[in-house]
Amino acid sequence: MKESGDNMGASSKPGSRLGLPWIISIILLILLVASWSYFLIYARQPQQQIQLATRPDTLVIAMDISDAVSMDPAVAYEFTSVMVVNQLYDKLVDFEPPDLTRVVPEVAESWSYSPDGTLWTFKIRQGIKFANGDPLTAKDVEYSLRRVLILSKTAAWLLQQFIAKPEDIVATDNYTLTIKLKEKVAPDLFLSVLAFTTSGIVNPREAEAHASGNDMGSGWLTDHSAGSGPYILEKWDRNSEIVLRANPNYWRGPPSIKTIIIKHVPEPATQMLLLQKGDVDIAFGLTIDQIQQLKNVKGIRILEYPVLQLAYIGMNVNNTYLSNEKVRTAIKYAIDYDGIIRDILKGGAMKVQTIIPYPLLGFNPATPYYRDVNKAKQLLAEAGYPNGFDIELAYPAGAHPQEEIAQKIQRDLAEVGIRVTLRPMAAAEMYQKYRQQSLQLVLAGWGSDYPDPDNNAKAFGDYRIKQLAWRNMWYDDKVADLVEKAYKELDRSTREALYKQITDYILEHGPYAVLYQVVQYVAMRTWVENFVPDPSFGTYLDLSKVYKEPVLKE
Amino acid sequence: MSLYSYILRRSLYMMIVVLGIATIVFFITRILPGDPVGAILGPQAPPDVVDKVRREYGFDKPIYVQYIDFIINLFKGELGKSVSTNRPVIEDIKERFPATFELATASLIVAIIIGIPMGIISALRKDGALDHLIRLISLFGVSMPVFWLGLILLLIFYFRLGILPGPGRLDPYIPSPPRITGLVTLDSLLTGNFDAFKNAIAHLILPATVLGYFSSAYIARVTRASVLEVLRQEHVKFARSKGLSSGAILTRHIIKPALIPIITVLGLVYGGLLEGAVLTETIFGWPGLGSYLTRAMIYMDYNAIVGGVVIIAIIYSVINLIVDILYSYIDPRIKYG
Repeated sequence: MKESGDNMGASSKPGSRLGLPWIISIILLILLVASWSYFLIYARQPQQQIQLATRPDTLVIAMDISDAVSMDPAVAYEFTSVMVVNQLYDKLVDFEPPDLTRVVPEVAESWSYSPDGTLWTFKIRQGIKFANGDPLTAKDVEYSLRRVLILSKTAAWLLQQFIAKPEDIVATDNYTLTIKLKEKVAPDLFLSVLAFTTSGIVNPREAEAHASGNDMGSGWLTDHSAGSGPYILEKWDRNSEIVLRANPNYWRGPPSIKTIIIKHVPEPATQMLLLQKGDVDIAFGLTIDQIQQLKNVKGIRILEYPVLQLAYIGMNVNNTYLSNEKVRTAIKYAIDYDGIIRDILKGGAMKVQTIIPYPLLGFNPATPYYRDVNKAKQLLAEAGYPNGFDIELAYPAGAHPQEEIAQKIQRDLAEVGIRVTLRPMAAAEMYQKYRQQSLQLVLAGWGSDYPDPDNNAKAFGDYRIKQLAWRNMWYDDKVADLVEKAYKELDRSTREALYKQITDYILEHGPYAVLYQVVQYVAMRTWVENFVPDPSFGTYLDLSKVYKEPVLKE
Repeated sequence: MSLYSYILRRSLYMMIVVLGIATIVFFITRILPGDPVGAILGPQAPPDVVDKVRREYGFDKPIYVQYIDFIINLFKGELGKSVSTNRPVIEDIKERFPATFELATASLIVAIIIGIPMGIISALRKDGALDHLIRLISLFGVSMPVFWLGLILLLIFYFRLGILPGPGRLDPYIPSPPRITGLVTLDSLLTGNFDAFKNAIAHLILPATVLGYFSSAYIARVTRASVLEVLRQEHVKFARSKGLSSGAILTRHIIKPALIPIITVLGLVYGGLLEGAVLTETIFGWPGLGSYLTRAMIYMDYNAIVGGVVIIAIIYSVINLIVDILYSYIDPRIKYG
């Protein structure tokens, strides 16, 4: 017994009898080994599932779905929800990416408008059924569009800007719908908004059957679907997964992929592992470094496409220095655009300097600005600031690549004598201050809400609608009038010419240095076929055309 | 009986504490610059839409009116509506909390299994090779980034060896059991779905190991210190001189008296785990409380932040209460009345 007592001592050697700590640790070791070997045997199972993941009728997508708020078309306005809603609901018209300049018929077979451009008539396609088998008629379209205006949620402004009241949308018979607009509007513009998911057609009988109070079924439709699109929303576990099931009654014929699983994988490194392993078919949201690593990996395909998002430096014209156009031009010549795209974005951007992104109608490929330190210095001297001045640049704190770009611009401007103080701000604070017109220089982005040049032209050109031009206090009536004229122009080519004028004018005089257009990447297994990425952030992504080529296991 | 009145009294204090914390956080969120509605609608929402949504959430009212509304709602068990999810905060938390609870509990079990034996062995072999090894292991545990460890484990056990599943709570092809408690493991057991149960356990292993290992380091250190403290006391020497077996000495005379600080640490560790772990949740695609609260803070989502803090305050208070009650069981000298 004595030795065992000694065992408790700090530095003595273990005695002949095993002490309790040893017994405990041996038991634990055995437990650990046992549990590990259990899972080693059980290991077969996940491996089988890898094969299952390549099932030809199921598509597994990894992306960050934490932004999703509601799958009700009248409410959805975030990237994930809009992308999902587009699989669940049909609209009168649609876009077929990559072409975003002209809509194609969907529920509406054909349409026409009165000579003054305010009264529209849509012929509804016959034979379309909702997922539950109900036939789709003009009455249902009337209900759905009116519903958007009545509920008046976040995205309702898209329709409200053209349509005054719900009663202006009328089904004149089962297959004819008329819409009266507030004023004359460019046809392409109005149609592009009708192609947005907000105008998705909801089955009124299902919506009303699940209505609570006067919400027109909106609560229920948050995580259920009642549409005629290729898929049905089967399940949405928030921050976990979204599961879509093929609609057996889909009027174009049931899609080849029967189940779509959108898994919430916020971490790019995890997405990459899943994709390489073959457990997911498509990964949205890999970093540019990962994309470069994957570029030559067998079995993986990378698609690269510009999206309707511009990055720009806004210059508040109310500022003493920035009020001088020569100073603004000097800044435009001080920035190293190519350096930003090459070194910071590693090529993941498109060089664009005008305010309408590619590939919209009115895209202007002019890129007159390049880094020219002498010219910028000369312009500053002409403006009366040969020794430069001090200014603040606001940007979203901790955001990439904004932080690196802000630092680069600080260095670029320092070389021409402009001393920039960086002001990183929480996004919530920055937008608030920007709205209150109280920033000097700001590094921000603008994504087009719908693929019509009007969206960007108004924001950047028309201060009266209180968006970017107003926030930078650029009260230029000449360009604002041009924007309004283009907004109402019925003729497409005249309109295109107007946008050429607008973009040229803003390029020269506007308080913006447009830095680049964002390029996105999607990585997928090569067995995924017919996946066409959508420059409009997935708003017009059509997953029903995707199919999988069965692959033999190597 | 006295224990019940003690619990009752503590619950009353708990309410006061929670109310105080809620009040402080409420005003801090309102005073900080930033506009939740503007942030969630994005930079391009038309001003009239921003105003309309702000009215919808009542953010246009004076702060004191908002505060009174908030307190009234709190007593009704409501935490307001989240701007970023457009749902009642309480619904969001109900949905997120089970995932966090499941992971936190699994992690605590891992932490206990690793931490306490390590601490005991380390103390008994003080300054020996084993002690140094264990201290090294636990130092490694505290200092290693959770983010990195999670990715490496995924890379080895999921990607290379393929013996453990990838991120998420279940494999994509395993239908999740009907929601009863929200705990996938328990729900699958309750519905007799053993495939889902096994899969859910397998999915728990990696994230629970990462979090548990991290916490075990802390537990091991406190256990070591606490056991060393007891080893120095007279009763241990007496027990030895009496000729008791080392096992009996360890269980009856060392571990039991050393338990009080260990239980305290376990309570703190568990509370910390139940707050949610953002990085681990991100790596393993775990739909927990941590990522919810982080998102709420990024968007200055007032109600979600205050609601989350209230829930965390309640969790800590309850755990503290449980720890205090456990004290009296371990050490009968501690009495509550």
